[in-house]
Amino acid sequence: MTVVYKSKFYTFYQSDQKKCFYIDFGQKLVPLSFCQLLALRQKIITISIENHFYTEHNQHGLEILVFCNKEHLFVLNTFEILDLKELVEVGFSVLGISSPNTVIAS
Amino acid sequence: MKDIARQRLGINVEAMDLLNSQIKMEAHASATYLAMASWCEQNGFFTSAKFFYAQTEEERGHMMKIFKFLVDVGGNPISPEIGNINHDYASIVDVFETTLDHEIAVTKSIHNIVIKARSLGDITTERFLDWFVLEQVEEENTIRDILDMIEVTGTEGVGQQMIDNQINNWID
Repeated sequence: MTVVYKSKFYTFYQSDQKKCFYIDFGQKLVPLSFCQLLALRQKIITISIENHFYTEHNQHGLEILVFCNKEHLFVLNTFEILDLKELVEVGFSVLGISSPNTVIAS
Repeated sequence: MKDIARQRLGINVEAMDLLNSQIKMEAHASATYLAMASWCEQNGFFTSAKFFYAQTEEERGHMMKIFKFLVDVGGNPISPEIGNINHDYASIVDVFETTLDHEIAVTKSIHNIVIKARSLGDITTERFLDWFVLEQVEEENTIRDILDMIEVTGTEGVGQQMIDNQINNWID
């Protein structure tokens, strides 16, 4: 497996042999097909981090992330979400299908 | 490292995000035109209602065209959430002026995606949008012609009834 990008909490891998991707969430290594990776990206970029600070919508600052056809469920705090957003943004740039340093739209 | 991502996805992910936004915009337009059809039905503009029923279907067709394109290139098309649809209009003129504003907003949005795709070197997305660029010329022109007709006819007396009757000329 090749490391695509390593953030503070997570590591994003690509496996040439299995033609899939992995994200190491620390307590769990999650395999993802490319479709599952795109779907996870969509969920991550649409999380409103502003709600953690400026509104009453998410005062606890936690997000429940369910992905890979409901196979995995993670409860993440603000720092972990920010780190995951960075992992996805930089990771996709390294993969060559996104330009670097773009503000990801929700 | 193999280029697995490129093997799976034929366009840039930022272009994909913008196309998903466009899907939402087309769906919003479709819902807005349905609300306009409802207003026309309730206010006695029955031919205009038919026009907006057709527009609703057309906008949904646009949405599905983008949706299927994203499927074809291996992307992740998102079924949009639509809310905040206005059902209140001051007059039939207000309805068509709002329609033109909508169409202009759609045109600007498509042009922005073309410009972004060009800057990313995403030729596939740019060429796909050629059809939409020309379609918007037609859409805007139709509504401009209707507004011209409304201005010439006037809304006094039987003017409103004549306007509604003439809308039939723009129903395919």
